[in-house]
Amino acid sequence: MAKLPVSIEALTKGFGPHTAQSIGKRVETGIEPDRVVNTHCCFCGQQCGIQLKVKENEVIGFEPRDSFPFNQGMLCPKGVKRYLQGSHPDRLLTALERNSESSSGFIPIDYNKAIERTAKEITRIQSSFGADAFAILSGASLTTEKTYLMGKFARICLKTANIDYNGRLCMVSAAAGNKKAFGIDRAANPWSDIPKAEVVWISGANIAECAPITTNYVWQARENGAKIIVVDPRITPIARTCHLFLPVKPGRDVALFNGILHLMIEHNWINHEFINSHTVGFEAVAQHVKEWTPKKTAEVTGIAEKLIRKAAELWGRAESSFLLHARGIEHHSHGVENVLGAINIVLASGRIGREGCGYATITGQGNGQGGREHGQKCDQLPGGRDISNPEHRAYIAKVWGVNPDELPQAGVDAYEIMRKIERGEIRGLLTICFNPKVSLPDNNFVTRALEKLEFYAAIDFFLNETAHHADIVLPGSLHEEDEGVVTQIEGRVIKINKVVDPPGDAKQDWKIIQDIAKSLGRERGFTFSTPAEIFQELRIASKGGIADYSGITYDRIEQQNGIFWPCPSEEHTGTVRLFEEGSFNPIAKGNGRFYFPDGKARFNLALYKPPAEDVDEEFPIILTTGRVVSHFLSGTQTRRIGPLVDQTPSPFVEIHPRLADRLGIKNGDMTTVVSRRGEITIKAQIVNTIRPDTVFIPYHWPGKQSANQLTIAAQDPISKIPEYKVCAVKLFRAEQ
Amino acid sequence: MGGSLRGLFYATAVTAIVAVAIVVGSRNLAHFDGALVGYTFAVLFAAFGITYRYSIWLQRPPTALYWRRGWQVFFRPKYLLHNIVHWPKRVFTDFAFNKFIFRRGRGRWIAHLLIMWGCLLAVAITFPLVFGWIHFETFADNLSWYRVYIFGFPTFSFPVYSIVGFFIFHGLVWASIIVICGVVIAMRRRLRDHAAGALQQFGEDFVPLILLFAVSVTGLMLTASYSWMKGSGYEFLAMLHAISVIFTLLWLPFGKFFHIFQRPAQLGVSFYKEVGKFEPKAKCRRCGEEFASQMHIQDLIEVEKQLGYRYEIGSGIEHYQWICPSCRRCLFAISQGKLWQ
Amino acid sequence: MSVPDNLGFFIDPNRCIGCQSCVQACSECDTHKGKSMIQLQYVDRSSSIQTVPVVCMHCSSPTCAEVCPSDAIKRTEDGVMQTARKPRCIACSNCVLACPFGIPKMQTELEMMMKCDMCYDRSSVGKKPMCATVCPSQALFFGTKEEIEKLRPRSQVSNEFKFGKQIIKTKVHIMLPKFTPTKVLDVTAAMHEPVVDKNFDLESLLDNFEV
Repeated sequence: MAKLPVSIEALTKGFGPHTAQSIGKRVETGIEPDRVVNTHCCFCGQQCGIQLKVKENEVIGFEPRDSFPFNQGMLCPKGVKRYLQGSHPDRLLTALERNSESSSGFIPIDYNKAIERTAKEITRIQSSFGADAFAILSGASLTTEKTYLMGKFARICLKTANIDYNGRLCMVSAAAGNKKAFGIDRAANPWSDIPKAEVVWISGANIAECAPITTNYVWQARENGAKIIVVDPRITPIARTCHLFLPVKPGRDVALFNGILHLMIEHNWINHEFINSHTVGFEAVAQHVKEWTPKKTAEVTGIAEKLIRKAAELWGRAESSFLLHARGIEHHSHGVENVLGAINIVLASGRIGREGCGYATITGQGNGQGGREHGQKCDQLPGGRDISNPEHRAYIAKVWGVNPDELPQAGVDAYEIMRKIERGEIRGLLTICFNPKVSLPDNNFVTRALEKLEFYAAIDFFLNETAHHADIVLPGSLHEEDEGVVTQIEGRVIKINKVVDPPGDAKQDWKIIQDIAKSLGRERGFTFSTPAEIFQELRIASKGGIADYSGITYDRIEQQNGIFWPCPSEEHTGTVRLFEEGSFNPIAKGNGRFYFPDGKARFNLALYKPPAEDVDEEFPIILTTGRVVSHFLSGTQTRRIGPLVDQTPSPFVEIHPRLADRLGIKNGDMTTVVSRRGEITIKAQIVNTIRPDTVFIPYHWPGKQSANQLTIAAQDPISKIPEYKVCAVKLFRAEQ
Repeated sequence: MGGSLRGLFYATAVTAIVAVAIVVGSRNLAHFDGALVGYTFAVLFAAFGITYRYSIWLQRPPTALYWRRGWQVFFRPKYLLHNIVHWPKRVFTDFAFNKFIFRRGRGRWIAHLLIMWGCLLAVAITFPLVFGWIHFETFADNLSWYRVYIFGFPTFSFPVYSIVGFFIFHGLVWASIIVICGVVIAMRRRLRDHAAGALQQFGEDFVPLILLFAVSVTGLMLTASYSWMKGSGYEFLAMLHAISVIFTLLWLPFGKFFHIFQRPAQLGVSFYKEVGKFEPKAKCRRCGEEFASQMHIQDLIEVEKQLGYRYEIGSGIEHYQWICPSCRRCLFAISQGKLWQ
Repeated sequence: MSVPDNLGFFIDPNRCIGCQSCVQACSECDTHKGKSMIQLQYVDRSSSIQTVPVVCMHCSSPTCAEVCPSDAIKRTEDGVMQTARKPRCIACSNCVLACPFGIPKMQTELEMMMKCDMCYDRSSVGKKPMCATVCPSQALFFGTKEEIEKLRPRSQVSNEFKFGKQIIKTKVHIMLPKFTPTKVLDVTAAMHEPVVDKNFDLESLLDNFEV
């Protein structure tokens, strides 16, 4: 039974979120730090370089790290205050066992007892209900070494097919689209190409709040004369001063891309030579977009026709360009179609694989890129390999010293794991670096599912809202307490350095996993003594795969400020820009630039479908969700950092004044937003920077403040990403 | 009369008054100790310098206005009672206790409190002695009793060898120890603290601490010399002490020490602000929000005019001072943004 | 120690994305640790997402210092207007109200004014101030004039501002379009300008919508 042991209020009292402030050593100006360590921010996919100041094994502050080329000292507010997550009052210092007699719902227990109990429960559940009845949910903020180990642990220690990760809520649509079109899933260009582009197209990316450092790259492009096109239902800070703002109706991005391609073809703003020699499938796509006339595109997307024409002309006539997109087009039940639509206009322009001609998705999580490459995804093995491909299975089985037949087949995605739990098919769960009770859509369902678990073990450094349901909590490590690599937004593999030791009984996460393996009596393959050893095996495991890390070493990363994969040998400099003539490509092997045997990129039909839940008379307003700059994802860390909480203390709903007028809602009024799945009552913010048919709520908060009570669990059929960006709601002023 | 001339006038007048007070208070120098004449002249110079600077300072338009307004609002019948009630409270919390410094930092507060009270104690003892305003006489019939004379008038008496006597005669020792503790804390902060390190200046921030330290330590050494070392090196020490004291006195009008005289003006400001709370509010002529008292804005407009600023604007706003700080920042962005559109 | 001559501070409010990195980082510099001195605000959130970051402009004729009744605001030799001298400041708010850029902050509980001092512990040893180091949009830039001219070919720098009839020259520069006829930014001319700029007229950009 994984119902909450005590009330939410009691759990919160015991385990937070309490907020850390700059006090004591952190505001003293007479302290010389013991050391200042070069590392990276623990939050988003940009992985900005930062230096942390240490005094007596505590992080007491930061210094900008000007020498790291990506951010050159720049940081967003989260990066600035990240140091406050250390020495936090909520930090888990011991293992915990659920105990509803305890006022906080948990009692501290001996770490080894907690490991033994976890192993015992895993054995019990798997022997009674089969190996797949125990599932793992992992995360993409872990170092690549850890993500690799999680995949290996699931496949050869637990032998369960059911491992998936929170990148499922983040990067999978882009990944699937990129693989379909390019055969590889990585940003095609380094960010240094952005300022060299003549046109920068930004679709569904609130760059200023979700990838703030990228702003400077975009503004630099503008300084150099580039035209900036932004597609978003809201006038985000980056949209305010762009050249062309297309206020798209949520869920209609693919229609816009098809309409643009239609106009490009009509005006012959396409690169025939490139299309003929480097792509296949253009004819079918050209045929398909014929119906996407500007008029129809305008009707579907809600964007004025003249703007669509203008955008097509700017994009079509450009000599160089960079297209960026993010969750805004990916978080849809047709997220992959949206991505394919975007890629189609890039391929038709022929502007890729050259300096200043680029395309990329803006990865969300810290290790969103590296975390999706090495096997913690339900259908994937290390090196970006496919778990259903016999050759790939054979190679990895050999590295792991097992029989290929012993490897499980593909499991199900993170949300399906929840459904299986709810149906009783999965009985036990281990989570790390994932807070689905806040981050999954329709999270009232997620709560009901969690309540059915027979055994749930959570590894974390703070007790997140999902871990409230746990039977055993194992104290894991903070970002700054371990070392390892991550791959940032550009595909650059960088090194996280250990800054301080884990406090109390807390352990580095990979040690906890190995301790469970040992307690299960299956420690073969889980006897690494350092992250460096894991990385050595990962290099071998990735060798020959698309995400080839075999030429990367910790030393080389430090020397070169990161290395772009694929990097097949220690002599190879790494692949800074993909799809260049003659760049390393293990698939095409000289046949062409793209990662298919014939070396050609694929045009794919990008089919428009309305959102899974469109508006109707009862729920006439579109709800879209997203982030604010001061919080990160489910807020487990940022809701505990005082200055970030002060910056945005609670969620709000953005409403256009015209809609607000009709509903009689005034700025600051408590407003109830209701969907078919739940409701939320929060403050209204009346702003004319959002479409009048759409409202926006940021999603970082739990419980009654959680926007994901409203969102729909509709998923993309290919990527299985949930449709966070559109559902139907109604709203009214709450009784005061 | 020009500003500096007026300053000279006041400075001369005050110096003269002090001189007369010394002569009268010491009963025509009857109780004046000739050995202390150097100190006396240093005091006279300090009085001159401080008054001159104070006078020049008071003539600056903003200061003059505050000075005038401070008294006006204090005596305005409507608020007089309120002000009289608040006055001792402010004196106690701000001056006796330095509560505002406490909020700026614990170490800083302790250091300031120690230095301030140490100096006040020392001044209370030495100045009257130097001026001959206080002197001690033994009873004719009992050499072990002292009587204290203030301005030549006999007051209380006490036995020489008693606890009271010990404390009275060692008053300067206690003062020195208190000041030294304060100086050490302040100096430690100045040497370690990165913030202080960036902003401090030798003359402004270190010289006063060094002077106070020198005065206190040489004073203590004098006591040590005559108490335990049979007066060895006494004359040399006395000269050192005199030099450090005289230099400190001469430094009073120039450096950081001047705040001792300037700071009480804070009281006038606090009345001005108190009264401003009850006065009509100025509404920003851009956003309509209240942001200060009308009195304050009108006074500032006057001051800015006197200083030669020309912040006048047409179109009904009249003067830029009627725009609140928040709108000023917005205008900065809007005016620049417009050029980019 | 002083701010090297060749280094300057350049502001381009038009780049600002309102992320508050500057605000968060400001309180991390040793000169005013724990207190954020930079001013960042929405111009008018209901009608625009525009934000404005303002640091002390370090005027050559500093109104703040001149209206100070207690001589508490001093300039360093390298032209940086410092925060109020603690022993002198009497918390009268004259500077807060008179600063033409709206910079000084009254710390009511400390009974003193504090203001941006260009992170003097950093800038006086040639390091960038905190805000300009972290600023993700580089609306706040600290570097040489050559650097800024190379990075911002569309812009020219200006350090003259007009308020009513008063012209104020500053140490900090603002970025204006290259071909603006006058290099003096007339701040008070924007007094009656609407806040909404071209992209904010969202309804003209929409094809259709139902409310």
